[in-house]
Parts: sequence; structure tokens; C-alpha cells
Amino acid sequence: MNFEPVIGIEIHVELKTKSKLFSSAPVGFGEKPNSQTVAYDLGCPGTMPVLNKQAVVYGVRVAKALHMDIEQLIQFDRKNYFYTDLPKGYQITQQEHPIGSHGYVDLKIGDKVKHVNIERIHIEEDTAKQLHLGDMTLVDYNRAGTPLLEIVSEPDMRSDVEAMKYVETIHQIVTFLNVSDGKMEEGSMRCDVNISLRPYGTEKLGTKCEIKNLNSIANVRAALEYEIKRQTELLLKGESIGQETRRYDESLKKTSLMRVKTNDVDYKFFREPNILPVRISDEFVKDAIDTMAKLPDEYRSEFLADGLNENEVEVLLGDTDFTHYFEDVLALGCKSAKVLWNYLMGDISAYLNKDMLKLTDLKITKVQLKDFCNMQEDAKINSKQAKEVIALMLRDGADPKKIVKDLGLEQISDESAIQEIVDNILAENEQSIQDFLGGKDRALGYVVGQVMKASRGKANPALAKKLILAEIEKRK
Amino acid sequence: MNYLDLTIAEIHKALVEKKVTSLELVKESIARIKKDKNNSYEANNFDSALELASNITSVSEKEILKGIPYVAKDNYSTKDIETTASSNVLNGYIPTFNAEVINRLNKAGAILIAKATLDELAMGGTGLSGHKGATTNPYDNKRIIGGSSCGSCAAVAKCDVPFSLGSDTGDSVRKPAGYGGLVGFKPTWSRISRFGLFPFAPSLDTIGYFTRSVEDSAILTNILAGQDDKDMSSSYRPVENYMTYLNKPNTEKRIGYFKSVIDCIDDKSIVDSFYKTIDGLKAEGYIVENYEFPVDLLNALYSVYMVISCSEATSNDANLDGIKFGIKPTGDAKTWEEYMTEARTRGFSDLIKRRFVIGSFSLLAENKDELFIRAQKARRLIVEEMERFFKKHDYLVLPASKRVAPLIKDSSDKWNPNPNFVDNHLAIANLGGYPSLTLPLGYEKGLPFGINLTGRQFEEGNLFALGEDIEKMTGLKNASTVTRRIK
Repeated sequence: MNFEPVIGIEIHVELKTKSKLFSSAPVGFGEKPNSQTVAYDLGCPGTMPVLNKQAVVYGVRVAKALHMDIEQLIQFDRKNYFYTDLPKGYQITQQEHPIGSHGYVDLKIGDKVKHVNIERIHIEEDTAKQLHLGDMTLVDYNRAGTPLLEIVSEPDMRSDVEAMKYVETIHQIVTFLNVSDGKMEEGSMRCDVNISLRPYGTEKLGTKCEIKNLNSIANVRAALEYEIKRQTELLLKGESIGQETRRYDESLKKTSLMRVKTNDVDYKFFREPNILPVRISDEFVKDAIDTMAKLPDEYRSEFLADGLNENEVEVLLGDTDFTHYFEDVLALGCKSAKVLWNYLMGDISAYLNKDMLKLTDLKITKVQLKDFCNMQEDAKINSKQAKEVIALMLRDGADPKKIVKDLGLEQISDESAIQEIVDNILAENEQSIQDFLGGKDRALGYVVGQVMKASRGKANPALAKKLILAEIEKRK
Repeated sequence: MNYLDLTIAEIHKALVEKKVTSLELVKESIARIKKDKNNSYEANNFDSALELASNITSVSEKEILKGIPYVAKDNYSTKDIETTASSNVLNGYIPTFNAEVINRLNKAGAILIAKATLDELAMGGTGLSGHKGATTNPYDNKRIIGGSSCGSCAAVAKCDVPFSLGSDTGDSVRKPAGYGGLVGFKPTWSRISRFGLFPFAPSLDTIGYFTRSVEDSAILTNILAGQDDKDMSSSYRPVENYMTYLNKPNTEKRIGYFKSVIDCIDDKSIVDSFYKTIDGLKAEGYIVENYEFPVDLLNALYSVYMVISCSEATSNDANLDGIKFGIKPTGDAKTWEEYMTEARTRGFSDLIKRRFVIGSFSLLAENKDELFIRAQKARRLIVEEMERFFKKHDYLVLPASKRVAPLIKDSSDKWNPNPNFVDNHLAIANLGGYPSLTLPLGYEKGLPFGINLTGRQFEEGNLFALGEDIEKMTGLKNASTVTRRIK
């Protein structure tokens, strides 16, 4: 490729507070239009903003997670412009004093680490939602006033993969911190991507285009892939790039022009006079940080230490609920992280996916899952039996110990009991002993199988094998 | 004489002693309002008021406002009562909630009778710019009563009610109070919740009220002051009992005035009355001294006030776009821009548009430093100078205006290219968030004029104490009734 892409990303994250940023209306998605509103959300005259403390706590936590300088002076500004989705004719935001500045994230891409600087994060209000029906525009104010955290990266990314990884990482951080549900398809995390190209080795930035409202991590990559190609082709033809706002069409896999950017809009910022600046105390900041949920990186090192490999860790961290569930079961005394991972990401995950269930829908308890895993780790049941047991557990929510007992699946690990069976089987299979001694290894498997059969599958196979070998040794 | 002509304290006593009933007061008030010749009212609340009053059978001594009628400026949000701020842009707007002060008055048992006219959206000082036309002065209806709280002032001056709510951003209660022979009061910024007051310029706006005695103003402050969770800017500072400042010798006795302001006043009777009062106060043991307030700061008052208030206003009123409430465009609009443009073109008068242009212009990136930021800096200099003033003096005392209420034909709310600080000094109290009180000082050719007192933040009580001393000197407690100059 001839050109180096320069990419910066603005991410809007809807914060998962109970009520809106400045009003008492509940925050909710998918509710009946205009049912989640109070007078403030409609911009009724005389209503006043009352700051949601939780939003500030969340802001502090994200700032901390992104290694930022935390602004303790909480102050808001008005961004003034007219639009149909903006009920007050201005948005209250943090222009002058963003709650976090000068941070970064390190992205792990293959075995390389990509360092991306983050300019600022600030808290602001979301706008109303518009529905265009024929020649009508309907406005739903449910979303108006929902707290947003805008995360603005430096233009540090150099490829579609880095951009995708960046969004994925931010998504993981905000969901692990539980400050947002991060559902991109529902708009609770939205990305605007800025991209320009320049010849490799040059410093000067090219003209940038903004691709607005990308609603999935895959689309971030796909849109950039297309846009890099489009801009490269234009530049190679000697044409110039227009300063544009573009949208990405998922079905066509193409970006298209929304509007040409003229001069920057003058938002006539000034400080919000109804919110006196507040200086949050060191204790407030400390408390917000001390009570923070664990970050993905902390889980990474913990799970690696527990014996998972990197791939297994990443698969697990792809879902906060599974991660937390996994962590809980381990904490209850599950002896093997590997065994737990296998069943959680295997049988349990498949069971849930089949009926579109969530972990919270599981009938079994975490203690039962722990017991089940430990039975296997302690070789009380074999893997074949385990499949049967977990299926019954998931179906009935039954206790694994009870299932094992009811089905008579308890392994016989009592040496003398197995010895008896071994003796009987060997007595009946003299030919197999000779075959084995004659070098036919398969003969041993046959004998073990016979012992298992005679014990109705309950004999500990490892122990049986050990005893058979000892017996054969005697007959040499 | 009717009980409605008395002060709150006197009416309350009569209610307790059952000499009059709330229903009689409300009926009389409605009858007077129906005869209003000064264009003082917007929507009324007669039916609810009558119902409320007829349910009041007794009033205890503690229930000081119970059963007493009042009116509120039409920029207070009143649940189920149309509230337009005297602007066409809000025609038909029926709020779903009450302003906090309305709630507090309701809770105290006061009875809202009607909404009062104002200069459109409280932007103006004449009372001529509301969508219903000019509100006039009950003393002489060829004259203005002043604004922006014009209807609220006229209503109390002619004894339709004993008190009313106004609002004060530059002098909107305290200047008309002078023209109406009333006590007009604004508290410290943040002392009384602004929740539900339609904002003009939030950094300057305060609740305000008209009464006919200083004591009544203290009574209302007792009821209205205090923190409100719905207004983040409202102060957590404990509320005093302001009545304790009355009927006892005032201990805070250092008064300052600006001779530079007095020297701008041509009206000899105002100047004479002012100095006569000063002499009287000296005789009462007050120390009264001139303070040399830098003239360049006084000259800056008008521009500072206009730039800040218009900048904030252009943003506050951006919600009035015809989409959610109020005026509905005709339907010719093809785009949302056309829709909003039509709503705002038809909804606002030219005066308001002029102020929006001033505000918007001041906030534009290319002008912001030179206008908006510079005005903020000048505001700080003015306040810093006042802080120096308050180190030496407990009060700033000045005439409320340079003359009696002017004739309508001589009045205008247009931008004044040659402002004189004598017309704008009351805005000092808004720029610094100080409590400030105007009370009647005297009459010139049958028309009242007032004196204004401004104190340190949260020292409302001292203002009531000094106000009471002056009131005794002038003998103009309940001026409307004692002088009987309104025909």
C-alpha cells in the first residue's frame, strides 16, 4: 500500500445509571415512546438540571481505567445549536473541564502492543431519538438526557485492525466496569471514526473524513477497510479527498456521503449557570476507584495464573457475564480452571445458545457446577459420564452428587474391589495376556474395557489399568 | 376600607380573629381584578381560588399566609394554568408542574388568584412589551409602571392582592416597586429556589416579590427561603427567622452611597428626599458616607448587564421552537429549519429578537473574547469593588430611580446607545448576587418614588431592619392605602 491511514475515534457510551444525567426520569431502552420522560427532558421552561452523582462516579472510574488525569473540578458548559432532537436548544456537556484527559490504552494485537493515546473523556446529555415516517418526523424523548461518556482518542491508529481492536478494548473496559451495557446494536455505544491518508514517511495529515454512527465492532473494521480503499484509489488517480461526513451502509458494505463539512459550527459555548462548579474531594475519587469492578487486564493475569491459555482467556473475556460467573465458581473452590472453562464454554454455553438463554436462566447453582468440576478433577466420574451428568444438571437443575448416586455412576476407586474384578477378567482372558506379552498393545485396552464393562463403568479406569499391568507383570 | 387594602400581617390577624374570611377576601380580589384598567393580568385561577377559600374555616396564628390571595408573574410555572411569560411563543402552554415558590406558597395556604403580565419573557424594563400590550401605572395610566414585573406591581399597588411574585434579573422588581409605591425585594442569589421560574439569565435571575410593607417582605422570605433539591444552585445555608430583625434597634449602622449617582438626578424632590432620609438616619445613629465607586465601572454596568443577560437568554429561550409546546406553526413549513424559523419569527416580538441577536453575537467565537468574556471580567471587577465597599459599609443606599414613572410615550426598551449609570445601578445587586430592597420614599406630583437598599449576601435580615427604620421615618408603610392616591 502506498498510503498510511491515520485514524482517530470518538466513542459515545451511554452510562448505565438508574436515572438520567440531569433529571429523575428513568434510563431505559425499548420502552414505549415518550414514557421515560419528565418535564426537564422536554426542555419545559423553568426546569433545572440536577446532576446525577453516579454519572460522575462512572466518569471517574473510566478515567482511571484509561490511565487519565482525573479532573476534580466538575463543571458543565452549554453547547448551543438548534436541532429537532435537542429539546433545550443546547446540550449540557463538559467542554472546559472534561472529567478525564491525557490517557491511553494498550491494545494487544498478535504479539505486539499498540499504544493509543486518549485525549479526553467528558460527560454529557444524549439527544432525543427521531423516527422518520414518510414526510413526518416523530420525536421520542426517552433517550433525551441519558448520560453519555464521550471518549475521544488521539489520531494514533494506523489500520482498520487497530481501530477495531481499540473499539473492542474500550467496549470491554466499559462493560467490565459495569458503567454501560455497551450494546452497540441498541445504540448504547456509538462510534464516529475519523480517517485520513498520507504517503508513508510523511508527517503532514491528509484531509479527513468522518464516518458517523458505526453500530458494531465488525462495521468499524469493514467501514474503514472500504474507506481506506476508496481514499487510496482517489489519491492514486490524483484526485483530492473532500472533507466529508459519511455513513456506512452495512448491506452495500460501502460508505456514502452524508454532507460536505463546511466551516466548523460555532457552538457558542458558555458555562452552565444553573450548575455551580463542584470540586469533588480526594475521598470521593478514592472511593469511586476503590469500589471499581475488576478490569479485563486484571482478569487476564489472574486467569493465566489459574492455568488457562491466552486464547481461552480472550474467549472468556469476550463476555463479562461469563467472566464473572467463571470467577465466582473458581472462588467457590473449583480446583481446575481448565475443566471449568471446558464445561462453561462448551456444554453450558451450547445449552444456553440453543434456547437464547442467559447465565442467570441456569437452573444449576455455582456450587453445583463447582462440585461437578471437582468430581471430574478428582476422577470420581469419567468424561463420558460427566457429559451425561452435566446434561441432566442443566435440564433439571439437579445436584451432580445426587445424579451420580441415582445413576449409580460413582467410580469405584477402592483397590481391593477393582482387584477382584481384574482377577476374574484376567482368569477368563488368558489369550489377551499372551497377546499383550507378545507385543500387542491393543490387548491391554480390551482387558481394561472388560473390567469397565464388568464394573458397569464404575471402576476408575486409571486404577484398573494400573492393577492389570501389575498382574501381568507377575505372570512374566 | 376593605381588609384587602391591609398588609399581610394585618389581614392575617383579621383572619385569625374571624373578622373576615378567606372567601370574602378572594371574592373581593376577583371583583377588583375583573375591574382591572391597567392590563395587569394573564390567565386567572378564580374557580380553584374560590374553592380553596371556601374550604378554609379557621386560621391559626402560625398560619400566616393561610387564606390570603396573591398573584404570580406569568413566568412562574403553574400546573394546569396557562403560562405564557407574556410571549406569543408560549400561547397555549399549560405546564405540568408548579414552580417551587408556588408550591411553598400553596403549602402555606396562600391562594393564587391570577397570573400577572410582564415584559415579554421578562426582558424589558417598561411593562410595554408583553403580548397583551402595555401594562400601565395605576397612579396615572398614561405612565408606565415599569418592568419587567409590571402586572405584579400594578396588582399590589392598587390592592387587588396584598402581595405578588415578580422576578428580578436587572431591577425587574425593584424599579417598578419605586414607580408603584411598593416594597420590592430580591433575596441573595441562591437563597430562594428558582425551580419553575422561566429563566431569563440564570446567573442574574432571582425570585422577587411586591408587598406593601417591609414586614410583609420578611414574612414571605421566611416562607420562601431555603434549599431545594430541584435547584442545584440553591444554598444549603440555614434559613434565619427574618422577623427577629424587626421591631428592635438595628445594630448594623454603616451606610454608604454613591454621590456620583445622586448627582445624575435632576428631580430635586427625589434628591431632597434622599438627603433628608440620610439626615434622619444619621439622627438615628447611622453612619452615612459617600463611597467613590470608580465611574468607569459604573459606566460599564449597562453593557455588562446587556451582554451577559442577552447571551444567557439566547440560550435559555432556544427551547421555544414550536415543537414541544406553545405556538404551532401553520403547516407550510417543509423542513425543520422552516418550522422552527416560523415559530420563532411569529412567536417573538422584535425587541426579543434584538436581544437574541445581541446575545448570539456576543457568544460567537470571533466576538466572544471581546464581548462575553470581557463582560464576565468586568462583572468580576464590579463585584470586587463591591466587596471592598462592604468592608466599610453594611448597606448601599441609593434612590431607586432618577425620576417618577415616565410617560409611556417617553419610554422604550430598545438598546440605549447612551446609557447613564443612574438608570442601571440596581443591576449591581444582580451582578453580585446581593439581597436588595426598594421601599417608598415620597411623592412627586402625586406619583411615588422609592429608595433602594442593598446588603451583603445572605444579610437579608439587616435590609429588613434598615427598611423598617426608613419606613417609620417616611410614614409610608402600606403607601397605597395610607396615601389613597390611586383613584
